[in-house]
Amino acid sequence: MQEHTQLSQKQINDELLRDILTVPKWWLPAVVGLGILVATGLGAFSYMVYHGVGVTGLNRPVFWGFFIANFVFWIGISHAGIMISAILRLTQAEWRRPVTRAAEVMTVFSLIAALHTPLFHVGRPWRVLYWIFPYDFDRGIWPNIRSPFVWDPSAVGTYLIASSLFVFVCLLPDIAILRDRAKGLFVKRIYAFLCLGFRGTPRQWRLQTVAGILLSALVLPVFVSVHSIVSWDFAVLIGVEGWHSTIFAPYFIIGAIHSGVSAVAMLMALAVWLYKLDNYIKPDHFDAIARLLIVVATTWFFFFFLEWVYALYTLDSPEIALRELQAFQWPYGPLFAIFVILSFVIPVPIWLFKRFRRSAKIMFWTTILVNIGMWLERFLIIIPGLVRRTHMTFDWGTYHPSLVEILIVVETFAFVALGMLLFAKVLPLIPLFDVKEGMVFRHLIKVGRKTVPASIREGLPHHYYEKKH
Amino acid sequence: MATNSAGVEYEAVSEPYVETENSVDNRKDVSDRLLKIHNVTSNRFWQFAALTGLMFALGIIGFILKVASGFDDKDVWGYYVAVFAFLMTTTAAAPMVAIAPRIANAHWRRPISRAAELWTVAGCLNLVLYIPLIWLLPSLENGRRSLWFYGQQASKDQFWTGFESVPAYSPHIWATLAIVSLVVLGLALVWLSCLPDFAVLRDQGTGWRQKWGRRLSLGWIGTTRQWNWQYHRMGIVSAFYFMMLIFVHFFISVEFLMVHVPGWIDSLYPITHAHNALQAGVATMMLTIFCLRQFGGYKDYIGLDQFWGLGKLLLALSLLWFWFWFSSFNLFWYAKKPSELSLLELLISGPYKIMFIAEFLLVFIIPWFSMIWNPVRRSVWGPAVIAVSVLLGTLLDRIRLYVASWDAASRDFVSMLEMEMHEVPEKIVTPAIADIFLIVGFIGGSIFIFMLASRLIPVMNIWEQKEFLLYKAEAQYHRAKVLVLGKPR
Repeated sequence: MQEHTQLSQKQINDELLRDILTVPKWWLPAVVGLGILVATGLGAFSYMVYHGVGVTGLNRPVFWGFFIANFVFWIGISHAGIMISAILRLTQAEWRRPVTRAAEVMTVFSLIAALHTPLFHVGRPWRVLYWIFPYDFDRGIWPNIRSPFVWDPSAVGTYLIASSLFVFVCLLPDIAILRDRAKGLFVKRIYAFLCLGFRGTPRQWRLQTVAGILLSALVLPVFVSVHSIVSWDFAVLIGVEGWHSTIFAPYFIIGAIHSGVSAVAMLMALAVWLYKLDNYIKPDHFDAIARLLIVVATTWFFFFFLEWVYALYTLDSPEIALRELQAFQWPYGPLFAIFVILSFVIPVPIWLFKRFRRSAKIMFWTTILVNIGMWLERFLIIIPGLVRRTHMTFDWGTYHPSLVEILIVVETFAFVALGMLLFAKVLPLIPLFDVKEGMVFRHLIKVGRKTVPASIREGLPHHYYEKKH
Repeated sequence: MATNSAGVEYEAVSEPYVETENSVDNRKDVSDRLLKIHNVTSNRFWQFAALTGLMFALGIIGFILKVASGFDDKDVWGYYVAVFAFLMTTTAAAPMVAIAPRIANAHWRRPISRAAELWTVAGCLNLVLYIPLIWLLPSLENGRRSLWFYGQQASKDQFWTGFESVPAYSPHIWATLAIVSLVVLGLALVWLSCLPDFAVLRDQGTGWRQKWGRRLSLGWIGTTRQWNWQYHRMGIVSAFYFMMLIFVHFFISVEFLMVHVPGWIDSLYPITHAHNALQAGVATMMLTIFCLRQFGGYKDYIGLDQFWGLGKLLLALSLLWFWFWFSSFNLFWYAKKPSELSLLELLISGPYKIMFIAEFLLVFIIPWFSMIWNPVRRSVWGPAVIAVSVLLGTLLDRIRLYVASWDAASRDFVSMLEMEMHEVPEKIVTPAIADIFLIVGFIGGSIFIFMLASRLIPVMNIWEQKEFLLYKAEAQYHRAKVLVLGKPR
């Protein structure tokens, strides 16, 4: 990073733990407001359980609506953590340091939010037990493991466990600092229990570092498998036009990274405004994440282009009729235009200008646009495919989301925001040890009349230093 | 004392400062040593160049035999297209090993970036090989499926009927433009990258090398303006090269491969084809730097860091290979559509089964399960052996796909628009002697061109090596000495 403020370890501890050890004024009203939204969503869900799924807009032939679009959206957001944390950690990108924790925590909460919606969608959530246990013990009717609906909870569950473990391992040194600084005995004991006796011995640091790297590497295949499997929920079907496409797995993943990394950029802006973390998150960080987003968005757009080209390439009239419905007919046509404009046409040209990339405000609003667009993308993949009129007249129908569905979808957004706020109240949202390590690694090199930032190179072969190359 | 945003005062902390080895003597020493290696051509070099030149001659004989057999039978040309696709997959993709790490500011690329760019010179051969394919590619008027939707009119009121006005020879036009652009961009990239080194040849070289340097350096004296100009042009050309590479693979994989098999509709395949190229490009570079280190006199420059960097890339790309392959295979196998099952029978479970298994082992299993071990990645021989495995596997992949598809095309050509193959070939198309000449000859030809180019252009990037002195320093960190690297941009 070109912009940098070298800070003492004491200052880092003080500033990053300030909002945990004291309560900001805005915190309680925000938590109450979000809590009301969550409670309203849960109320709507209870109403749905009591009255049945008939209170939703789901009906023949559209049995997958807002809930499933929202599920895919949150699974997409959950890809931010691993993209930012694991991949940038493995590639030793220095700018990742202040943003990793927020991205990892968002992964965990968005995965839980994602799991909400299919559970609600089934109408009677207790029936998910049938995903694990047989329908009938006596007759030994087990769930069909060849079904993508069994792969899905397995993959998402594994990802949730791996991500939580990743967050926990990365938190250990910071919890130890909280243990040492917390005042109340009870709170101190909780932190002492959670930090697993971390004292910062060389062995503990080595184990923590190796565990972080190993988890980064091991979680990557899980990260890829999760959205691949979600995409296969759709793509293995040949009965719905527009779904049976081999590009779906990578297309879903790159779309997930697009929306996930955008969400992280949005969080960075919020962290600067709400927690005054401008000593840690500089305009350079926004610049770096925006450049990453340009690459990701362009790749995503290329995949989107391929998906469309191959749909037309089939020359199959039902497939082409679906594309007409998606892009040109009411109400999906305008939504399609909004989706393309918001997720690519507006943000990417803006990010091409360095002045805009470095602005927290511009990044905040453009990344919000991306996520509105990406939510619509999921909606437009799922609904028009199901709603399209076929030869069977009794299968004609349309879909309008009911208030219950809208409230439950709003609840998932409120849940993630509330989760992040509560987390930030008890644990630091910026990793103290990672930032401190960055400060230690940071050096300056004089090149001509300029001073250039430099960093200690990690992980070189040990014999590199013995021989000159 | 410094004050933070909350108004609290803290002791100001300064950043540690380290000295680099960027003295005039050190920089001159780098130029002198690299020029000395460049100016010497060993006997072994000429022996190997003669061998590859002989192979090239065999390739030309094979080509003449092929042309003599005419352009009517598609299956006869399968191996030719396969070797063309293989060269596009390897030599055209190798420059990405220079482009991608340069964009990411990875210093380990410095000793190997020129060799990677130099492979674009071999791209001229790809351009020549492409010419006969223009005659082999059937016109859209023959009713074949295409990206350009020519002549398909299911309904007049459908929004895409405007595509009917696309010329019948669109694939020929666009594929030609893309391949020519790729080669031109590649040559432009090499020239831009070489400008400062040509100036070194002009100032420090002798004889024909000095004249060559004078002509091509275009008055380069290393002003700030010239450096900025070169940096920005290289960035632009690199970005366009990458985009064009993806487009070329998109065109090749569709117009020269998928359209020949009725029912092969795989939206992921252009990406898979391009990804195969990136994997094979990394393998090509691993083998190249192994040869430069062991036989080219660059042992002091090409170290474990370079093999390690490329090894990590290959590991990631091998895993991606499996994911891309499985993403397509799983859908075809699970959905059980007749057209897709017959495609699987053609390419995976039918006559080409053995070839597929061998390829699977060579391109995925061997690199993945060996490169996952750090000691293998951090060695010189490990990555070289695995690179050979990947390149062999990629060659088998191209033969399997192109030979099988062109064989199917020759049987099913009239029914291209149908959604399913009428007849899956039962036997593999065995290579004729002309095909073996083509494979050996044009692979040898590419190496021959690369070797000749390495005599004209320094194969080690002199200015990037000197630039590295600006950004490299050693610092004491507690009891250890560590490397500190500058990140200028």
